[in-house]
Amino acid sequence: MYVTWDLMANAIVAGILLGGFYAAVAVGVTIAFGMLDIVNIAHPAVMMIGAFLAYLALNTFGIDPMITMVILAGVGLAIGPFLYRGYHALIEKRGDESLQGLAFFFGILFIVEIGLVMTFGVDYRALELSYLSKTFELGAVSIPARMLIPFVVAMIMCGLCYAYLFYTFTGRTILAVAQDVEAVRLIGADPQRSKSVAFSIAIATGLVAGVLLILIQPVEPSIGREFIGRAFAVCVLGGIASITGTVTAAMILGVAETLTASLIGPSWSPAISFGLLLLTLAFRPSGIFGR
Amino acid sequence: MASELRIEGLRAGYGGVQVLYDVDMHVRAGETVALLGTNGNGKSTVIKCVTGQLVPTAGRITAVIDGTEHDLVGLRAEEVVGLGIALVPEGRRLFPKLTVEENLHLGAFREAARPKLQQGLEFCFEVFPRLAERRKQLAGSMSGGEQQMLAIARALMTQPKMLIVDEPSVGLAPILVSKTIETIGELKKRLGLTVLMAEQNFQQAVRIADRGYVLVHGKIEMHAENAEELRNNQMVRKLYLGID
Repeated sequence: MYVTWDLMANAIVAGILLGGFYAAVAVGVTIAFGMLDIVNIAHPAVMMIGAFLAYLALNTFGIDPMITMVILAGVGLAIGPFLYRGYHALIEKRGDESLQGLAFFFGILFIVEIGLVMTFGVDYRALELSYLSKTFELGAVSIPARMLIPFVVAMIMCGLCYAYLFYTFTGRTILAVAQDVEAVRLIGADPQRSKSVAFSIAIATGLVAGVLLILIQPVEPSIGREFIGRAFAVCVLGGIASITGTVTAAMILGVAETLTASLIGPSWSPAISFGLLLLTLAFRPSGIFGR
Repeated sequence: MASELRIEGLRAGYGGVQVLYDVDMHVRAGETVALLGTNGNGKSTVIKCVTGQLVPTAGRITAVIDGTEHDLVGLRAEEVVGLGIALVPEGRRLFPKLTVEENLHLGAFREAARPKLQQGLEFCFEVFPRLAERRKQLAGSMSGGEQQMLAIARALMTQPKMLIVDEPSVGLAPILVSKTIETIGELKKRLGLTVLMAEQNFQQAVRIADRGYVLVHGKIEMHAENAEELRNNQMVRKLYLGID
């Protein structure tokens, strides 16, 4: 097979852009799973809700997805506390949350999926917007708008999460609550509130990531499952509770996948995320940025 | 500025096991009071009741902070801290995977402490220069003595009026115990704090204590009105503290 520099450059740029989107998907998992120990494998279901709401908003009300995602972020933050309260009452309060939580969220995933199938059918849906089909040429490298926009939005979103977690008082308690719940009380903070805020942020990022997904590619209700493995792989590779780690790991995964797709064949690229996951667990279990 | 603590008829326990029997204590404004006793006599249980970590079965706990009276029974731990009563817990309870600086920032979570974050940091770094050197280091990777400093510093970051210290000597080398106790004494003077300290190291604790209580099997067996009385009470020393 003949490989040119142009092909390589294109694959790497495409990988970084794709990685940006993966970061948007994984940041919610990093917060919920990495920081709160909530095994939210229903995160992709939240994404699918976001994706179909963006579809509905554009085709029924004519609302541009860029506006929809801002609204959905707000909605996620607003309903997140109620969802967390439900999860806390049903699962967390009783202890043994890892196993029961897993089953609980697996159930949620299926219920959401079936609900979407019943509402929208099993066909692929896509957003038809003229600005998405534009392509920017940078020398030999072409950058499609449908990849660039999600990348930019994802970076802004991860940046906001990082700033909130490290530079606000409540944000910092989220970093602390995973380590010692009682000690959080001793600095005068309510750990339940910290968890509730964090969970809400995770939900909001999931909804936005869903909108980004439908900008990138057509979606059908069960497509979200493809991202469970990737999101958790990115989360572990990055170092469980690290935002910078998540972004870096997402880029690595994105580049690895596009390189594999261009050099070996697209059918191999999903194997990459699990391969990376296994290698991380074998050689650096704490992840790239793990503390 | 008067901040004091009154404990009346306190009873508490865990499940069916009663630990405290009608404990009466008070800490007057600006005093350092030592709550003495060996392991398993209920010192930590008293501390837990005061700091909202355990709900007593009977009795009253009242704190006067800046002239306002607060009933502490039934408050949650974070609400007690919110009043200006900081705890340096036994075992330090730091956030091991956060840096020294991040731990200190977290200390300033309380509404009243937030605007004083910078001042607080400067003060802590002045009192504990070691923490300034290690500000970027993970709390969990420091030595026991350094962690104890950080635990005290984090409590100070909440801008407390009253400091409650539970077993500061546990797990520390004798020289560090002595230093820790001295630091608590110094801080109390500089900040005008009211201090309640539970401690089993009798000789160290009486160095800075104005008064003391000896807790034996959940009852106050002895109450000394001054440090001298505490130091000279041979009965307490022999029978309850096991030292000559």
